[in-house]
Amino acid sequence: MEMYIDPHIHLVSRTTDDYEAMRKAGIVATIEPAFWLGQPRTEVGSFKDYFSTLVGWERFRASQFGIVHYCTMGLNSKEANNVALAEQVMELLPLYAGKEGVVAIGEIGYDDQTEAEDRFYRLQLELAKDVNLPVLIHTPHRDKKKGTTRSMDVAEEHQMDPGWVVVDHNNEETVKEVLDRGFWAAFTIYPHTKMGSERMVEIVKQYGPERIIVNSAADWGISDPLAVPKTANLMRKMGIPEEHVRLTTYQNALTVFGLSGQMDENDWLKAPSIDQTKKLGGNSVLRGGQVPRVEGPADRVEN
Amino acid sequence: MQTQTDLLAFFKEVLSSRAELKALDWLHTQTEKIIAEASPIKFFLAFSQASRFFKKEKMVLNQQEIDRAASLVAGFDPGHWDLLQTARTYLLLHFPQEKERWFTAINQLFETGDLYEQQALYAALPLMPFQEELLPRAIDGCRTNMTLIFDAIALNNPYPSNYFPEANWNQLVLKSIFMQRPLYRIQQLDERRNPALAAIASDFAHERWAAGREVMPELWRLVAPFINEKFIADLKKVLASNDQLEIEAGLLALIGCHSEEAKQLLQGHNEEVMAIEYGEITWEKIGRDFQEKRG
Repeated sequence: MEMYIDPHIHLVSRTTDDYEAMRKAGIVATIEPAFWLGQPRTEVGSFKDYFSTLVGWERFRASQFGIVHYCTMGLNSKEANNVALAEQVMELLPLYAGKEGVVAIGEIGYDDQTEAEDRFYRLQLELAKDVNLPVLIHTPHRDKKKGTTRSMDVAEEHQMDPGWVVVDHNNEETVKEVLDRGFWAAFTIYPHTKMGSERMVEIVKQYGPERIIVNSAADWGISDPLAVPKTANLMRKMGIPEEHVRLTTYQNALTVFGLSGQMDENDWLKAPSIDQTKKLGGNSVLRGGQVPRVEGPADRVEN
Repeated sequence: MQTQTDLLAFFKEVLSSRAELKALDWLHTQTEKIIAEASPIKFFLAFSQASRFFKKEKMVLNQQEIDRAASLVAGFDPGHWDLLQTARTYLLLHFPQEKERWFTAINQLFETGDLYEQQALYAALPLMPFQEELLPRAIDGCRTNMTLIFDAIALNNPYPSNYFPEANWNQLVLKSIFMQRPLYRIQQLDERRNPALAAIASDFAHERWAAGREVMPELWRLVAPFINEKFIADLKKVLASNDQLEIEAGLLALIGCHSEEAKQLLQGHNEEVMAIEYGEITWEKIGRDFQEKRG
């Protein structure tokens, strides 16, 4: 069975039906970037509990469906504009940045491209260097092209290695510059708004699979948690070579976020039993007939 | 304080023979920083980043080590611990135990901990200072639905039986049943059985039966010392099961009861009764078999 990674999905907003469908469709690992919640938070404690959820409950919830959950930590650009609160969040971040399974600082960058956004983006680039983590950049929805260029300019100004930076939410207008400058280019397959699967297929046809990553960014809005496997299937149908499908929907994300030292294929191929009463059944199969470990319904907790 | 020193020596030995040299060096440097710095930040970072140096590999302790652990702190049982949580506990024990400062730091650790950090913290409860004051934290921890964390408090941990008031203790045991945790790994379970818990257990069994679901055989251990007419009726039903483990559990619950009815119920099961008398069927054996079957 095919294996996929969705390297950008806000699982706190998704249902258990989504988790089941994702697992069934072949998603073995997910990355949940810290983001905003649809409405602004007003207290630093809300950030603390949210960050704790990302490394605690959500990780556990995903594991019940046989999906390995990672996250990125950061102050998103929208909420960076509440400067008093943002300063408190910055004090909180070092506590979380070093935790197990935190694979990047992100998603950070620009929204309205304000002075405050710029300040906290730069501070977090420095944090990423301090803790030796890759960076996940959120590019703005409005004035996207300029915002994308500026994000990369500033990252370079802070001596970030482009090979450690994923620029997210690309489109046909931004992709060339991102790839030319040596950054990773991620694409969000969002129904209605950003990229559709068909457009994605065309991009892979044109640019090839190198440093291109597909994600769903599924959240509390209209979005599709199966965007990655669906796009992979469309790529196959449209004659894209299997190796290119594998790179863009699995391996590239693993390669760049694996730079953190916090994400390893063995996490799902040879998952250690978190409960010694559980048996490790049939997980010795590796490459070729790779079979990730799936936990059964017996492990699910009634709430 | 002597216990503290002995515990540190114990952990150091246990880790030295199992972890890599690089990890041990890192650990040593961190403990020096933790002691020297006034701010808890170094401690927080070391506690998190221990995962980069120590694996979640279960330690296999030898009998001597297990005995030594129990002699240091009554009930302390690191037989199920992994290397990572052992290293984290070692770091924790280096943090200066000045009350106000200690609670501020530890509360923050509990509140910001990931799955495995919380597991380490709750399992280390019996080794922490200010035992009585930790009670609200321990009780609150039991509200989790993350099995890993619940197990760290409930199983192989002397803290609940030592400190939980009856109502909270009963909740912990009931929740263990609800989550199908191995009851035989709850310390002092027999000693802290009580009539209220037996009644709760029986009610729970009735709920499961009403829903057409099976009842965890270890549950009947809670009823055993308080057999009355109602419980006899329950156990009659248990003995009518097709499931060998349920039958064994029903018999084990009845065996100490000297009423005529209990004796009659036992009569049809001579083979199992003999196995119980020879110590071949025990609550632990039933618990293990049940988890095996479930696994």
